[in-house]
Amino acid sequence: MTTHFKSPDFFQTFSEKRSWEPGWMADFRKDSWSRYSELPKSKLKDERWRFSPRARFSYSNCEQLRDSPKQTKLVNNNSKKVIFESFDQAILEHPNLLSKLPSLTGPQLGSDETFLLGSSFSESGFLLNAGEGVKEEAAFVCNHFAPKENHSLFQQNIVTLAPFAELTLIEYFDSEDDSTIGVLSNLSHIHLGEGAKLNRIVVQRINSHSTFHHLEKIELERNSQFNNISLQLGSAQTRVESRGDILGEGAEFNNYSLSLGRNEQLFDQRTIQHHIAPHGKSNLLFKNALLDESKSVFSGLIKVDPKAQNTDSFQTNRNLLLSKEAEADSLPGLEILANEVKCSHGATTSKIDDQELFYLQSRGISKSIAEKLIVLGFFEDIIGRAGNSDTIESLRNEVSNYFKS
Amino acid sequence: MIKPSNIEIDREKGNFHYPTSKYAFDAGVGLSEDVVKYISGVKKEKDWILDFRLKAYSIFKKKPMPTHWASKDLENIDFDVIRYYLAQGQQPSRTWEEVPDDIKKTFERLGIPEQERKFLAGVEAQFDSEAAYSRMKEGLEKEGVIFVGSTEGLRDYPEIFKKWFGKVIPTSDNKFSALNSAVFSGGSFIYVPPGVKLSQPLQAYFRINAENFGQFERTLIIADEGAEITYMEGCTAPKFETSTLHSAVVELVALKGAKIQYITVQNWSNNVFNLVTKRAMAHEEAEVRWIDCNIGSRLTMKYPGVILKGRKARGEVLSIALANDGQHQDTGAKMVHAASETTSNVIAKSVSIGQGRSSYRGLVQIPGHLKHCKNNTECDALLINSDSQTDTYPAISIQGDDNSVQHEASVSKVSAEQIFYMQQRGLNQAEAMSLYVNGFVNDLIREFPMEYSVELKRLIDMEMEGSVG
Repeated sequence: MTTHFKSPDFFQTFSEKRSWEPGWMADFRKDSWSRYSELPKSKLKDERWRFSPRARFSYSNCEQLRDSPKQTKLVNNNSKKVIFESFDQAILEHPNLLSKLPSLTGPQLGSDETFLLGSSFSESGFLLNAGEGVKEEAAFVCNHFAPKENHSLFQQNIVTLAPFAELTLIEYFDSEDDSTIGVLSNLSHIHLGEGAKLNRIVVQRINSHSTFHHLEKIELERNSQFNNISLQLGSAQTRVESRGDILGEGAEFNNYSLSLGRNEQLFDQRTIQHHIAPHGKSNLLFKNALLDESKSVFSGLIKVDPKAQNTDSFQTNRNLLLSKEAEADSLPGLEILANEVKCSHGATTSKIDDQELFYLQSRGISKSIAEKLIVLGFFEDIIGRAGNSDTIESLRNEVSNYFKS
Repeated sequence: MIKPSNIEIDREKGNFHYPTSKYAFDAGVGLSEDVVKYISGVKKEKDWILDFRLKAYSIFKKKPMPTHWASKDLENIDFDVIRYYLAQGQQPSRTWEEVPDDIKKTFERLGIPEQERKFLAGVEAQFDSEAAYSRMKEGLEKEGVIFVGSTEGLRDYPEIFKKWFGKVIPTSDNKFSALNSAVFSGGSFIYVPPGVKLSQPLQAYFRINAENFGQFERTLIIADEGAEITYMEGCTAPKFETSTLHSAVVELVALKGAKIQYITVQNWSNNVFNLVTKRAMAHEEAEVRWIDCNIGSRLTMKYPGVILKGRKARGEVLSIALANDGQHQDTGAKMVHAASETTSNVIAKSVSIGQGRSSYRGLVQIPGHLKHCKNNTECDALLINSDSQTDTYPAISIQGDDNSVQHEASVSKVSAEQIFYMQQRGLNQAEAMSLYVNGFVNDLIREFPMEYSVELKRLIDMEMEGSVG
């Protein structure tokens, strides 16, 4: 049976399945869905999709939802002071914490379709909520699963840290099986209150046939801090849209990401560091190592509003090309409207240094191992920021596993 | 003698008033097929040129404005109130008295000789140095250099120019190149024979033409094998211009081992939309260098490019932009690598003063089958006031495991410490600021011929006036 997200019957069936939800949630879904069905046809020339083979991100082969989708699995949720619950459970038990959903806008970096679909059909994800001053040493861990057999899964994650709370969050993205196609659309809303701090690690190991949409918006109030480390390893194609809004003075936004591209993998990354308040800091580093016929697109923007004086903002994109057919496209952008700022961006693309390779080979290391070592070294300044040595070692292994020996 | 009347230098948006009573040929207001035919007819052009123009006109009509990435200010251009062709039957057609006082004052302060001032203001097309010019022209002819206007070039030397005309920049490249292709007039067509190395730069305003440099000039420079040429257009004094849209197309062809250096100093009055397409094709071991300085205009959109077509070709763009109140300098560079071992270098410096906005937009492309290609791009922006704006939008597309590119951009403001240091040595704040800005662009200004760099420095001094305190 062919189904379409745009068909009213399809939405009707979905609504009936979720008739247990409160009325405002049903209204929100309905509103989002009607906005989705009225979306104009995508423009041929959209700067937000420049260099991207957009058709690869289409939902067309996977326009169906599982009857009972595999839910996000939460680990270590026995903390008394923090609410850490699945999306469905949160709707029932903490509707007040989700009631801001209809007012959230997402990253707005091109994926209007995914954002509205996610708002209409989300049935997985999690809620993470920490009260004022709550500090937890142990990480909150969750496992997300991309669906199998030509299905799509939409999920929303709502992370709210009250002032001076400090948490660590680790998110794994995997597939239900290794051999079939699926689409996972993950939409995160993160809000950090004054002085709050969130460390997050993302490890994406979805199977090599599936599509991954990863949209997130991070809002930072005064003196708050967000540190992110993403390992994008799996999937056939991944679209990342990440927005960090510095809303309060002195907030700090650090966004580090690495991608390892093999075969025909595509990593399409769009980011913005938006400084709205003064004295903010942001630092972004995206590194892509590309083998075979893989491709990366990095499009980043630093935007500094006229009021955001004394901003320090940096953006770096480094691409390592390991084969003739690999391709790296880079669109590093700046829009600066304040003058008391320190802003810079840099983008480089190059191959492995022949001398480094020769040195390793002359010590008896085979070429493929030497390349692997150099790539691991290339990623080290991202992985090395992950905090304690156990975490760092496990992240190294994650990357290492992706090299065929 | 034509009676002088007041010419308005109109700095208001949307006012396209144009004094036209004194032109012998006038294509009227607005653009249509008839206007294109009229222009071609006045120039007594061959059929293939008319066909070229008409085809371009139909492309122009079809192409949308590039507002999906470019400034929305483009929407303020009203193509129906622009005059596309005006030629003066006799000269001079304007008198010195008509030139506005502020422009005269600028000439004076820049120290431009009296006679040259009149020429620069568009009052006279010739001046007393004609003798010197003639000698120079004679010398050029002896070497076999062809240096003529676009009409003469296509009429008298089709065997040389037809081959490359419209080939580096196809008509359909963008809306404004199509517009230019439909209505072009004026400009320079230059051919330098193999092995000829011109020691003196050729300057656009030395060429005496029956027609003034128009709004839609067309330039084509061909440097044959091993030839070398430096071409300079524009001048450091403000171009006294009543038109509001300037849209030129400049094509350069550097054949094997040739070197072309193209220098522009753009200082239009700031009611002008300056939308220019410039591109060069560099063959084997050729070198093309664009030196581009933008100080005037309301909106400039200009991205000089080099297609590196032959092995070991080299392209370079050095760009300086100064944006003051009400100005948007949207400039940059395009480097398209199409052969192995090609290298390119882009250095762009911009200064935003008051509410000025300067943008860098660039493109670097290296496909995977090439070996040993390199690109280096550096963009530095300086912000003077708290409401100044700067943007950087590079696009870098690289394939293959044997090429390397690096791009870096930084934004900074004037260092208070350095200003303080200069002030305590007795400079006032404005002088210190001026010195600072001159220092910021100094390494690029050094690339200009000496007399230009002196005038440029003075010009920067003048732009900086009143920007502080």
